[in-house]
Amino acid sequence: MLNVQNCSISNASRSLINELNFTVSPGEVLTLMGPSGAGKSTFLNWMIGALSAEFRVSGELWLNQKRRDTLPTERRNMGILFQDALLFAHLNVGQNLAMAIPEAIKDRKLRQHCVEEALANAQLANFARRDPATLSGGERARISVLRALLAKPEALLLDEPFSRLDQTLREQFRQFVWQQVEQMDIPVVLVTHDPQDIPVGGKIITINSSPS
Amino acid sequence: MSHRLLANLAVACVFAPLLPGLAMMTKPLLMPEIWQALWTDNQWPQALLATLNSTLISVLGALALCLLLLCGLWPGVRWQRYTAQLPLLLALPHVAFASGFLLLFADNGWLARLCGVSFHLDEFGVGLGILLAFKESWFLLWIASTQLHHTALSQQLTVAQSLGYGPLQSRIRVIVPQLLPRLKWALLAVAAYSLSVVDVAMILGPANPPTLAVLAWQWLNDADPQRVAMGMLTSLLMLVMLIVFIVVGYGLWMFIRHALGQFSGRRHQSGIQPLASGAGFMMSATGMAAIAMLVVWSFADGWFYPSLFPDGLAFSGWQTAELSSLTTTLLIALASSLLGFLVVILWLEGGNSRFDMWLVLPLFLPALPLVAGQYRMLLVLDQDGHWPGVIWSHLLWVVPYMLLVARPAWQQFDRRLLITAQTFGWSRWKILCRVKLPILVRPLLAAFAVGFSVSVAQYLPTLYAGAGRFSTVTTQAVALSSGGDPQQQAIQALLQMLLPAMMFIATLQVSRLVSHYRQGLR
Repeated sequence: MLNVQNCSISNASRSLINELNFTVSPGEVLTLMGPSGAGKSTFLNWMIGALSAEFRVSGELWLNQKRRDTLPTERRNMGILFQDALLFAHLNVGQNLAMAIPEAIKDRKLRQHCVEEALANAQLANFARRDPATLSGGERARISVLRALLAKPEALLLDEPFSRLDQTLREQFRQFVWQQVEQMDIPVVLVTHDPQDIPVGGKIITINSSPS
Repeated sequence: MSHRLLANLAVACVFAPLLPGLAMMTKPLLMPEIWQALWTDNQWPQALLATLNSTLISVLGALALCLLLLCGLWPGVRWQRYTAQLPLLLALPHVAFASGFLLLFADNGWLARLCGVSFHLDEFGVGLGILLAFKESWFLLWIASTQLHHTALSQQLTVAQSLGYGPLQSRIRVIVPQLLPRLKWALLAVAAYSLSVVDVAMILGPANPPTLAVLAWQWLNDADPQRVAMGMLTSLLMLVMLIVFIVVGYGLWMFIRHALGQFSGRRHQSGIQPLASGAGFMMSATGMAAIAMLVVWSFADGWFYPSLFPDGLAFSGWQTAELSSLTTTLLIALASSLLGFLVVILWLEGGNSRFDMWLVLPLFLPALPLVAGQYRMLLVLDQDGHWPGVIWSHLLWVVPYMLLVARPAWQQFDRRLLITAQTFGWSRWKILCRVKLPILVRPLLAAFAVGFSVSVAQYLPTLYAGAGRFSTVTTQAVALSSGGDPQQQAIQALLQMLLPAMMFIATLQVSRLVSHYRQGLR
């Protein structure tokens, strides 16, 4: 269960988010809609713990009965997907995924196996040694999803991950993401301005920044 | 194709005479008795050790300090605050910094007076290495800051942290391996500079025997032809040392890259922000303190060991200062930066940009063999010790720096403006003078100022091509460093710092004026 309580975000010139409250259950996708510049991405940055110092924030973020907004990003145990796939350019595909595998899996062979299995599940078998720069946009996007989920996050944040892909790929990739997320059974928060991104039966909150 | 011809001619004037000069330098390579003399020379081994020490400390220290600050502070307000003061620290010339550093850390320096701390700076080249490490770390930080502007990198950092990696670990795993390849040219330049630096080594390096570069320099100036040949051979061996450095560095990088690609899954939560802040503060404080030392010494009216402050302040030092060096410096720097400016414009307009890398090569090579090659050629042409020879010798470093500064703006120039001008039926030169140069006035002024400051800081070419007859603020500051007159040394070092600073301020003012009247040129 993911829970945002009384979240307000403002910078020097205006207030972006005003008293936002919501709850997302495991397996559920909450969509935050709103025009660009409304503060959707800023809000996600707050949730993940990467908000720049110019913003003033109040409010609490709870996930599975633990408060997270006071922890640094690396201890929140939440995954994030940005607009770009952001694969680490100096690592190959397999290393990108291996980096995400939790500490608990120690054995080298087992870690390797996890990578292979994840790739095979995504119809990307034999991609482990590929250079990310040689992949298509769709392949890169799918690998970034695998990477975020291999870390076994307790919640997933999506910052317009579909918007960079062209129309046909976008639909395929949406299917892929919802299918992967369903297996994980974790709360998901999606930020977008495209109504087509909203999964069937998902909750929607519209953000309109109000001038302060 | 007159513009291409002109461009090639201009560049050939700067670079071509160097080649036969360098060819003449290779003669000792085939003389076994010179190899023999080097082998049995009793100064060589210790000089080599001092050079290896200072070069390794300089390169590895500069890189370590750069990465320490980066891993501790980037991205954040502290990083921005630190990089904001880099221009000042970078504008501090090596010789001026070394002079101030010496007044600060030497046996009778200010720290010794304050708290009894002093360093034997000249032993084994360690002090030289540390000074260069400080100075070059600012250069590396500046290059790094221009490479780290991409938002993608900071988002990658967020991704790595969301995977559970702590502040230090995520930067080492994600940012460092992506940054290092982009620093390779800067590191090469640092290595080449540290290997063959003479001016700073004479101020701060070991004396007897000195570093390899200084030793080669002394030999090259010897009357004995065999000594001269030994100097040539030694300076050529510096090229070999640079190649060894590149090979070792590449091997190390391969190893590091492999190691950083292996993930055992272990997460560390540690950060090094306090350490990085401390190191950054210490570095800047050293730079500022060095400048302060120069200023106070230049006005000191009697300042004897061990008093912490001068007995009084007076202008007498400045009144008795040798100011003819100032005029000489100004004339040489103005002439070489104006000529360099012309060459760079002609090259950018007509030259084949595929060869740009060849033109900036002098920045990545040890200066000593290049200077010696220039001198051979000037001897043949009977031009050593004359103004044209000295100015020409400076161009070899002025032109590459100016090219590096001016090139990006030139390449980003909107081609549609040129096409528009062509539709008026204008000639190429008319378009250059009426459209391109006026629009690029700001980056070109910056390039001019950089060329000027490069010329001011030249030591080896001035002494060598000038046959010792030209004394500039830089040669004066070095010469006075062994003479026991810290006040005059401080004055010359300050002048060495102030001349380029004044040129930067002047060009900045002109730029401001231009952008005040034409806001589109900002």
